[in-house]
Amino acid sequence: MNSDEPNKRPDDYLDEAALKRHLKAYGARPVPGGSDEFFERSMRQAVLGGARRARRRVWLRGFGTAIAASLALFAVTLMLMKDPQTSIPSVTMELAEPQTVNLVFASATVLRDATLTVTLPEGVDLAGFEGEREVTWMTSLQPGKNVLPLSLVASSAQGGEVLATLVHEDDDRTFRLRVTVI
Amino acid sequence: MDAYERNQAALFERLLKPHMVRLYRFAYRLTGSQPHAEDLYQDVLTKVFDRLDDLAAIEDPGPWLRRVLYNQFIDKQRQYARRRLVDVAEGDLPEQSVQALAGHSDTAAEAENLGDIAALEAALERLSDEHRIVLLLHDVEGYKLEEIQELIDVPIGTVKSRLHRARDRLRGFLQESGTFSRAPAC
Repeated sequence: MNSDEPNKRPDDYLDEAALKRHLKAYGARPVPGGSDEFFERSMRQAVLGGARRARRRVWLRGFGTAIAASLALFAVTLMLMKDPQTSIPSVTMELAEPQTVNLVFASATVLRDATLTVTLPEGVDLAGFEGEREVTWMTSLQPGKNVLPLSLVASSAQGGEVLATLVHEDDDRTFRLRVTVI
Repeated sequence: MDAYERNQAALFERLLKPHMVRLYRFAYRLTGSQPHAEDLYQDVLTKVFDRLDDLAAIEDPGPWLRRVLYNQFIDKQRQYARRRLVDVAEGDLPEQSVQALAGHSDTAAEAENLGDIAALEAALERLSDEHRIVLLLHDVEGYKLEEIQELIDVPIGTVKSRLHRARDRLRGFLQESGTFSRAPAC
């Protein structure tokens, strides 16, 4: 042993095996944080936030974005026909039978942070949001056609108009869909 | 929350609970900081809850969760930037930390010197991220090479060479600091 280093243990040299032992011992120590209270709180936050996001997103599979000031077209899928008297698109639904209506929005440019609000008449609900007459979410638009599938369920034979209002910066557009329930 | 949301919450907790501790430890190893680890962990939980269907479909969610966390860390590295280590006097450490190093086992006894721990952490900090992460995962947290390969998405040969290089560099840093000296020739 080197007498100049009296405090060094005889086997305290850093070969790979010793290094691995030191690292393993380091790994055996608890890490800061990670308390039970933290885990419970973070779970709660994720769930509550997720529920809110899910409400905005339940119909967004296949829907990439939202609407822009340049929006000029509001169209519906082939299954829907324009009402000849008023030129408002219309759909006929059976009572209590879910039906998906695809709203197609065309945009000339990318538009971010637009707000889309869907307003429903009494007796027509969005699947998963029964009883809510107005649902709003933030989204953005890609150039071209953007498809918004709406899963509607009629709980009464009343029918009415579904409105989709898009707001982006200072511009807003409202589109109407007439729903008839049989 | 309505009944559906409560069911989702219960499912999420059931799927995640077995993996929470290891996932948090991974977040801490990546960030080196409790506040950043907690932020990273929380962000990942939020992201994973939005993908509950994916989580429920996986037989062993552990590797998938760690992959999500690792990708989140890589994407937001600036946000979770590692803190600089500061020297802490032994008297300032929580009592449990001192007691944990009281030599309850051979490995704990070897690491009982708090100065050695601080020097080890400082040396780890000097490694590049790619070396440090592989070393921490394998030699500190006990991940297998194949698990690391899958996690960071590099060939296993690359994992091995990074590990070898990381050990070499770490050894050099520790010897520079005089924390662990080579045995002198007798």
